[in-house]
Amino acid sequence: MKASCNWLRELLPALTHDATEIARLLTGAGLEVEGMTEVGAAATVCVVAKVESVRPHPTKSGLRLVTVDRGGASQEVVCGAPNVPEPGGLVVLAPLGAHLPAAGLTVGKRAIGGVESEGMLCSESELGLGDDHDGIIVLPAGFAEPGTTLAAAEPNAHDWVLEIGLTPNRPDGLGHLGLARDLATVLGVAFSPKAPALPPAQGPDVASLVTIEVADAERCPHYGASAVVDVKVGPSPLSVRWRLQALGVRSISNVVDVTNLVMLECAHPMHGFDLARVRGAKIVVRRAAAGERLTTLDGVERELTDDDLLICDGQGGVALAGVMGGASSEIQADTTRVLFECAWFDPRGVRRASRRHGLHTESSHRFERGVDTDDVAWALDRACELTLALAGGKLAKGRLHVQGGAVSAEPSPTQRPAIALRHARVESLLGLEIPWADALGILERLGCRVVERGEARASVVPPTHRPDLHREIDLVEEIVRIHGIDRVPAIIPAIHGSRDVGGREALARRARAACVALGLSEAITFGFTREQSLTALRAPAPFVRVKNPLAEHHSVMRTSLLPGLLEVVGRARRHGVRDVRVFTVGPVFLDPGARGGPDAALPDERLCLAVVLAGDRPGYLERPRPLDVWDATGTASAIVRSLASSSATVVPAPGDAAPAHLHPRGAAFIELGGVRVGRAGPLHPDVVDALELDGPALVVELELAPIADAARVPTYAPIPKYPASTRDMAVVVEDAVRAGEVEAAVRASAGPFAEAVELFDRFAGGAVPEGHTSLAFRVVYRAADRTLTDAEVEAAHANVVREVEGRFGARLRA
Amino acid sequence: MSEKPNPTELSEGIDRALEALREGLDARFASAATEQALRDENAKLLGKKGELTAVLKQMGAVPADARRAIGEKVNAVKQQVEATFAARLAELHRAARQAELTAPPFDLTLPGRAPAPLGHAHPISIVRDEVVAIFRGLGFGVFDGPEVEHEENNFTLLGFPPDHPATDMQDSFWTTSNHLLRTHTSNIQVRAMKALEPPMAFIAPGAVYRRDDDATHSPVFHQIEAFLIDRGVSLAHLKGVLAEFAERLYGPGTPVRLRPSYFPFVEPGAEVDIGCVFCKQADGTRPGCSLCKHTGWIEILGCGLIHPVVLEGCGIDPEQWSGFALGMGIERIAMLRYGIPNIKLMFEGDPRFVAQF
Repeated sequence: MKASCNWLRELLPALTHDATEIARLLTGAGLEVEGMTEVGAAATVCVVAKVESVRPHPTKSGLRLVTVDRGGASQEVVCGAPNVPEPGGLVVLAPLGAHLPAAGLTVGKRAIGGVESEGMLCSESELGLGDDHDGIIVLPAGFAEPGTTLAAAEPNAHDWVLEIGLTPNRPDGLGHLGLARDLATVLGVAFSPKAPALPPAQGPDVASLVTIEVADAERCPHYGASAVVDVKVGPSPLSVRWRLQALGVRSISNVVDVTNLVMLECAHPMHGFDLARVRGAKIVVRRAAAGERLTTLDGVERELTDDDLLICDGQGGVALAGVMGGASSEIQADTTRVLFECAWFDPRGVRRASRRHGLHTESSHRFERGVDTDDVAWALDRACELTLALAGGKLAKGRLHVQGGAVSAEPSPTQRPAIALRHARVESLLGLEIPWADALGILERLGCRVVERGEARASVVPPTHRPDLHREIDLVEEIVRIHGIDRVPAIIPAIHGSRDVGGREALARRARAACVALGLSEAITFGFTREQSLTALRAPAPFVRVKNPLAEHHSVMRTSLLPGLLEVVGRARRHGVRDVRVFTVGPVFLDPGARGGPDAALPDERLCLAVVLAGDRPGYLERPRPLDVWDATGTASAIVRSLASSSATVVPAPGDAAPAHLHPRGAAFIELGGVRVGRAGPLHPDVVDALELDGPALVVELELAPIADAARVPTYAPIPKYPASTRDMAVVVEDAVRAGEVEAAVRASAGPFAEAVELFDRFAGGAVPEGHTSLAFRVVYRAADRTLTDAEVEAAHANVVREVEGRFGARLRA
Repeated sequence: MSEKPNPTELSEGIDRALEALREGLDARFASAATEQALRDENAKLLGKKGELTAVLKQMGAVPADARRAIGEKVNAVKQQVEATFAARLAELHRAARQAELTAPPFDLTLPGRAPAPLGHAHPISIVRDEVVAIFRGLGFGVFDGPEVEHEENNFTLLGFPPDHPATDMQDSFWTTSNHLLRTHTSNIQVRAMKALEPPMAFIAPGAVYRRDDDATHSPVFHQIEAFLIDRGVSLAHLKGVLAEFAERLYGPGTPVRLRPSYFPFVEPGAEVDIGCVFCKQADGTRPGCSLCKHTGWIEILGCGLIHPVVLEGCGIDPEQWSGFALGMGIERIAMLRYGIPNIKLMFEGDPRFVAQF
């Protein structure tokens, strides 16, 4: 909402504040001023000037030399405008040195075609007062004495406009009257706006000009109309044009401008019909038939539904009620009889229509929020008053008012139920002592009626322009809003603490910390993704779909964290960053399956963690080596170990056992205590191609809840007191023999004193025969209660050697 | 057969030999330039076949009456050998240490070697963890909830009227006719109130979704909700908690200001500004900086007393209980803190972005 400071000061004479102060007052009252613009700043330095003579420029065709009286002195300026008036006409002169912000220039001394010009005659656009830059401003005769500044001659030539970010509960703030009322309340002064003053009606009875029928009284409980005849449609005076322009409304004609002025004043949209174009002299408000068509003022032919409320004349639709008028009955230059409509349309119905047709208008914006039910007559009278002033004509007798579908002479006031207000409740909710009289005074200044006033309780009837006030708490808010929220003290309460419910936040935090400790960096990815990516990754189906996505890549809820992370890798590679070690933690959204409870139908959201590794392993001043499958399994194991305090098992899943999106030679499941908690391995090359990743990537996927469930509290094991004996052995086995099997055999055969078995070297080539690998194990032997003898260790280790040689045909390396 | 030596000659011979050893001792050890040479030299004297050992072997032939005197002499020489050796050894050690200390320094301009590369938490997580920790410290627990939510929990029970412009503030993504991606973390208020009896004090961090994707909006962002319900909770209590929170997050003395505002599920509702942490011009003496748009204040969250209609809808009697709720956008706090100019940077996952935090 744009608000004019000039207008607010007109409505509230006590408002002597400058724009910054007004903005501060409004913001403090919850009507947040988000921006301030000075309009027509140049009007304070430009002056009214009278044309004395005009002659052609000696050398430049199209230019003229205009001599003007600028108030006690004459001056000649060069002017290129086509509309320089005859001598005696009034124009606006920007004198030497005048700064014109809207034009981005300061008037300097210039020689144009050899003629010096010390000023310029201004157009509206140069002054920031309009779009018109085809010609200079020609002021009406008698506008002001030459030499008067434009702002002094016409206050609306200079204004400050506030951009107010109104919250949707304040429809009254969409008009200057509502804003002025709040300002009056804040300032503690009475607010008494002037009622429209109409002359005696000299025109025909409005009932003789048109009949009104409301077929849907639920969607249109009030429909009022009044008329002015013999009007002369023409341009609005400059004061009106410039005011509307400042507020971002284009001036159309005096009569159309009237409807906009009334709306900007009282926040109630209205519509002006050319009565001559209302066929059948009849207005009907009814639901549209499904499929019925209407061409709205924006020139679009729209197909209507039976939920659309239509304003019709005797032959068909002329306006989409509360949203936009139709082209057929609009005010035109030849209009002489004007019918003003002011109605109250059901906010929800207007909103549905507005959204259905994608038409958000100044009118729908206001109706949706709820305009005043009881200012229909006021708005109509105001429109007639302004019309008579701007366009002449004669007022038609009376007003038409259809209320609840029935025609009545005058609308009956809305009876709003009284709200019970308790002084103690106000103070206890606010934590603030406020005198009862002050609290009630605030409500009264806002337009509430205190119908019963007790010592501790009152009955308060809210005004019809505040549809947001229904119950006690609404009044409490009004009281603190005006009294000043900064006057409420800050007190830390004694907090009855709560324990976590669910535990996911702590689990996710620990998982993130574990990843960061492993040198991984976090990416935050979205819950929705591209369906193709999930399909390419063979992620679990079915997918939960977004019905109204903004983009195809946000159209399904992810059932795998990988698409988002792999996009990170793809983008990084396109930017030339090859090394990526990234993780994300978040939910996947699985089909609910057969769950119970109130959330049975919601997706099964499972907290997961995924890692993607690509590029080279970080080393130190050495040739970098590409990350490989063991980086994936190792990362997975380390994360699980960190979260569960017990070790994961890497279960190879070769060939057909591999998850479809992983490489069949390198896929593994990650198990913890016999429960599968995730998987790791290189992406399948087909997936790499399908996702256009431009290179391999290793992935780890873990589900966090089962890991947390299997977590154990570590139990202290005594630190050994006696020394250990270690034995190293290197065995050469065929390549097909798995290191893990050999290790398991070593472990199994090493006897009760074997404390640890570690594979510490793996080597092929050199002296190792083709097709074979050397595996070196270190076995640590130790007894808890004594130092083992060499003989005991040798005996145990000999058993290991025998077993490994016998079982794997392994050969001991020297 | 050899002639048995004369005992006196023998004694004198030993004397002479000892004297000779003693005299040559300093020179012999001093000429050993390395520890090994020194030890070799020592062995030549004291080893099994050493010169002093050889002398000792002659002791048996010395008559008993002279043996004591000679024995004392031998021991004296032996002690002298040991002392000289030890002194020379210490000297060699000192020299070696000195040499090591004065050798050319290491090239410390080479990069350091970390035990593991440094990982980086996302700025959103850093801020979230801090805010959660602050509220945990005040006694709040975390209440989990889903991102795909019932319309009832996200809107209806929070007092959003159907077909009301208030829902325009939160344009939604729908998955079914009555399930949507939550538009705020306030759904957790409803879930907690339905599940538990007051008093309660919870926070709820998480992702939220709004149908808004332009230069300054991301369709997904993150919020933290905090709410407290107890007997006699007032706006003053909300202000107290906010002030404490602001001081813990932004430092002692951070000014806080409330501006009345509107959210359907709180009343009175307010937006909260803190004094601009960059220019610290909240007192208005100077015009502030561009980050606070020259106001001296920065908006960080929305809050209010929980609307009685919300309490009633969740089965809590607003005459008995009252509460407050506040919600903040994590991205905004992170962007302000780290000077991140565009929310989109947060979600591109560029390794060069997250490595900065």
